[in-house]
Amino acid sequence: MRRRRQRALWPRNRHTDDAATSSGRVSAAGWVLLGLVLGLAAGLWYAWMVEPVVFVEVSPARFNERYQAEYIFLVSQSYAANGNWPQTEQRLAALDDSAIGQTVANLLERYVREQEPAAVIRNLAMVARQLGVETQAVALFAPTPLHGNTATPTAILTVLPTPTPMPTASPTLTAIATVSPTPTPLPTSIPTAVVSPTAQPNYRLLSQERLCLTDAPAPRIEIVTQDALLNPLPGVEVLVSWNGGADRFFTGFKPAEGPSYGDFTMSQDVSYTVALAEGSEAVSGLRIEPCDNGLDGGWRLTFQNLRLRITATPEGEE
Amino acid sequence: MKWATMQQSGYAWLRALAYAGIGLVVGIGLGLYLGWVAWPAEFTNANPSVLQTNHRRDYVLMIADAYAVDGDVAAAQQRVASLGEDGQEFLMATLLDMILRGEQEGDTRRLARLADDLGLYSPAMEPYLTPPEPAS
Repeated sequence: MRRRRQRALWPRNRHTDDAATSSGRVSAAGWVLLGLVLGLAAGLWYAWMVEPVVFVEVSPARFNERYQAEYIFLVSQSYAANGNWPQTEQRLAALDDSAIGQTVANLLERYVREQEPAAVIRNLAMVARQLGVETQAVALFAPTPLHGNTATPTAILTVLPTPTPMPTASPTLTAIATVSPTPTPLPTSIPTAVVSPTAQPNYRLLSQERLCLTDAPAPRIEIVTQDALLNPLPGVEVLVSWNGGADRFFTGFKPAEGPSYGDFTMSQDVSYTVALAEGSEAVSGLRIEPCDNGLDGGWRLTFQNLRLRITATPEGEE
Repeated sequence: MKWATMQQSGYAWLRALAYAGIGLVVGIGLGLYLGWVAWPAEFTNANPSVLQTNHRRDYVLMIADAYAVDGDVAAAQQRVASLGEDGQEFLMATLLDMILRGEQEGDTRRLARLADDLGLYSPAMEPYLTPPEPAS
């Protein structure tokens, strides 16, 4: 009887031992692996979701897109303020961007499209030019110095009360290939620019002429901007307003007509007022008027900058 | 005999749990290492408040330069705020540091002007708020 019971128990014991052996030896690696996977998941969940790393000692290279753009804007403004190119280069290098020229060029294009203030665009274009960027926007807003001087921003301005026109030949600027469409006074485009009167305008109206063309498709207001020495001055923002609307554009986007030329198509029975954003007298009452040839005529306005630009010595190079 | 069997089975499970525990501990450690060190979150989404001190100082100077160029006090205030809750304190600390070290006068003047226009004050700023005397 005892023997039989022992026999009956033996297979059960052997089976239990097999199970224990199986769970203890064969599955050991499996158990470790299971724990590892669960632990890894728990660790990542805690590290990414519950207590993520907050970096407190980063360089501008870690900025998100918005702050990178802001950083480049500040670098350009700072360069305009102090003219220190080595410092500007060092700051841009902190972005750790191997294609920094392209990044600046893209931002410049964005500023032009978003119609940022002309001074902001110019300062950024200056940096782009220093980086060797050669685009339409750079050619317009930061043309190469005419006298072979190294490029430094204009820091000191001297007012010329009565600039005297000098009939010297103007140096030609780089020709630009593309032509932008003529801005038309559509009621849908309502810009926010407001002409603000300034005590000392930066520009004066040099001439105002009737424009009678036989080949022009529509009467227009033509604007030409010149510097104090009557050289072409591209990239000047022009504000056009009329009853119930306003628009603005920059000179220089029609290189075929000249590097400092811009125009605006007029509509019948509308009286326009034109001024330059940087400060000029407002020329009002510009309407389409019939010419002697019977065709409708427009206007050609030439503005002259009253400030002579003198290149400043960069602070960092003193 | 039944007790011995149960005991053996219990030991087997304990051993299995121990293995799983070891795996779990190693896994958690590995997960934390990967999540905090190797592949941390928020790595390229930084803002000016987490800049290194030298870059932060440079950023303040650029804010002052931009303010000197465009005169937009609201934008300058917003930019100083982007430096974090202690943005204004940091601006003042940077300014005083520059004054004490006698650094670039132009930079110091622009920073002093910005601090003054933001309503910050220190007696040390005063010499930098008046226009520089022309060289005789």
